[in-house]
Amino acid sequence: MPSEVIYEPIEKFGLVEKKRSKSLFSKIGIIGCGLVGQNIARVASFYGIEVVFIEVNEDKIREAYRNIEKILDERIEHWGMTSGDKRAILSRIKGTLDYQNLKGCDFVIEAIRAVDRGGKIKERKEIFHKIEEVVDKDCIIATHSTTIVITEISSDLKNRERCVSLHFFVNHQEARIVEVVRGLYTTDESYQKVCKFVTLINRKIIPVQESAGLVSVRIFVVLLNESCEILMEGISNIEDIDRTMKIGFGMRLGPFELADKMGLDKILRWMDNIYNEFGDIRYKPNPYLRKLVRAKHLGIEAGVGFYKYDEKGNRIVSEIVKC
Amino acid sequence: MKILVLNCGSSSIKYQLFKMGDRSVIAKGGIEKLGMKGSFLKHVRQDGQVVVFEGEILDHKIGVEYILGVLTSKKHGCIEKLEELDAVGHRVVHGGEHFNSSVLLTDDVLEEITKCIDIAPLHNPPNLKGIQAMEELIPGIPQVGVFDTAFHQTMEPKAYMYGIPYALYKKYGIRRYGFHGTSHRYVTKRACELLGVDYNTQKIISCHLGNGASVTAVKNGKSFDTSMGFTPIEGLVMGTRCGDLDVGVVQYIMEKEEIGIRSSNTLFNKHAGMLGISGISSDMREIEMAKANGNERAKLALDIYNYKVKKYIGSYIAAIGGLDILVFTGGIGENAGTTREGVCSELDCLGISLDYEKNISFRSEGLISTPESKVKIMVVPTDEELMIALDTEEIVFAKKKL
Repeated sequence: MPSEVIYEPIEKFGLVEKKRSKSLFSKIGIIGCGLVGQNIARVASFYGIEVVFIEVNEDKIREAYRNIEKILDERIEHWGMTSGDKRAILSRIKGTLDYQNLKGCDFVIEAIRAVDRGGKIKERKEIFHKIEEVVDKDCIIATHSTTIVITEISSDLKNRERCVSLHFFVNHQEARIVEVVRGLYTTDESYQKVCKFVTLINRKIIPVQESAGLVSVRIFVVLLNESCEILMEGISNIEDIDRTMKIGFGMRLGPFELADKMGLDKILRWMDNIYNEFGDIRYKPNPYLRKLVRAKHLGIEAGVGFYKYDEKGNRIVSEIVKC
Repeated sequence: MKILVLNCGSSSIKYQLFKMGDRSVIAKGGIEKLGMKGSFLKHVRQDGQVVVFEGEILDHKIGVEYILGVLTSKKHGCIEKLEELDAVGHRVVHGGEHFNSSVLLTDDVLEEITKCIDIAPLHNPPNLKGIQAMEELIPGIPQVGVFDTAFHQTMEPKAYMYGIPYALYKKYGIRRYGFHGTSHRYVTKRACELLGVDYNTQKIISCHLGNGASVTAVKNGKSFDTSMGFTPIEGLVMGTRCGDLDVGVVQYIMEKEEIGIRSSNTLFNKHAGMLGISGISSDMREIEMAKANGNERAKLALDIYNYKVKKYIGSYIAAIGGLDILVFTGGIGENAGTTREGVCSELDCLGISLDYEKNISFRSEGLISTPESKVKIMVVPTDEELMIALDTEEIVFAKKKL
């Protein structure tokens, strides 16, 4: 019996000969590996995609790895995956400082942290330029910004028709949807390609027209503003407001719990941006929220927000921070 | 007559091409990682040469097209043109209550299979995709569906109903369906063939012990009861599945570990069973090696495994009122002499006497009981693909005669 295995490229063996196509989304890039970046990296890698993420220094790279590992360990501990899965996922994720490593990516998403944002639009535009210099012409370039419109960020690029905006939901592991936004320049082809990527990582697509705050953020900021308002008027307390929304309306987390999880500074910035865009008082950040952010009570990551948390991020029960 | 047998999973397609005259396999292979990175088609030619075709295989249709392309290719194929294929037989996991035997796949049948998606969300959709792909690629070719559940449709309500409100059975079809039907049907029939006895008068228990495992009681040629139920998790302790479990345990674990439906599903299907108990592996050989090295939990896992099978055999003897033939099949049933020994030991009171010496290294097809044993103990390697091909041949042939 012959022992050597013969290897052949499969394309020649279709009933109609196929062209050897580069497999789509074999590699993606992420700029900025904070909470959102880590989430995208982990999910994409779970579905077999190579991930390169760019950070600003070695410490941040290590931090990103640490956090991704932590989440995977939690999954293993709670029976969601095996340690073999974890090894495979980590082996596909590579952190780097150099944009040159984005070469060969089919998709690059900018997901820089709120705190690093500084120049906001200007900085994002610069990042888009840097990405465009390295990647191929047909690589999709996306932003994770929900309140800054993609048309504006992409306006100076050479191939701006391949830019879109995506919004992942990172607050709950079972929130398997992504808001997908096409800009003024985005072609159908690019949009379809992005939808393919989203399907590949097992998420449902919510198509959204370009508008600051999309669906999710716009509704949430109003909900949080109103919750803060009710709180300030002394109508109810934090825990009861959360409880009302959770039990009464079947939300997994109440508005304050959600806000603490997302990070209050990020939400404040969202509100500022949407308020600037629409000028509607509904979006104007509530003074209580602004006060918390000034005091650096930014939520779970800071150990204190609307509620208090221990080092592991578990809520310290029945101890509500008074302002 | 040449018949292609397809088994389409969510990310794999297995195939075998049969020449029905002498029941020989003229080519076989499979696609793995379908729709994922690193997909490939592994083809075994009749001369034993293995060929691996690498490249992007995006969906079932493209996968089936490549299989047909490889089979008809000059370089590695075994047929000249597609017209040489007379029929295609498909493994279909769930036939619900509608199908009690294999059927020619018509639009009406496909509609019924589609209805079963609700109770087999993981398995029926890829099965259907394979059927549709084949119809698109070779329009009009006769296709036959062979159901994993069909053989067990002869179970009586007392065997298939759960002790839950009857309304739930009516509303969702929640009842025991059983699986591995094609395998149990093949090995029990084959055992009778080998022994030269009438299938329709025998009391048989067959133990399909593979990565998934089930025991079936066959009385007078009909499945009377089987250990898998609404899903393949019920019954024996398996490689990574827990088998029978107190539902109170499920609730308790979900509460204590703060896990939802998705994670508990992974827990009971992927982390449990032999892997979960032994902490070593889901592979019987590795567990046996660990036991030989003195690993206590490996020993415990093996003890539990055998004990569970033994208990099912005992209860089924009571259910069908006696036993003539006991059959072992599946990867473990066919190869693990130690498991067969563990299961059959101390069952002489029930007329089951194993020839320990013969059994321990027995790896083929035949008898492993002592000449005095009242019950014939047999090892019969399963061949679901052949069974599917035979059913397909029979149905297509009957159709042609009409």
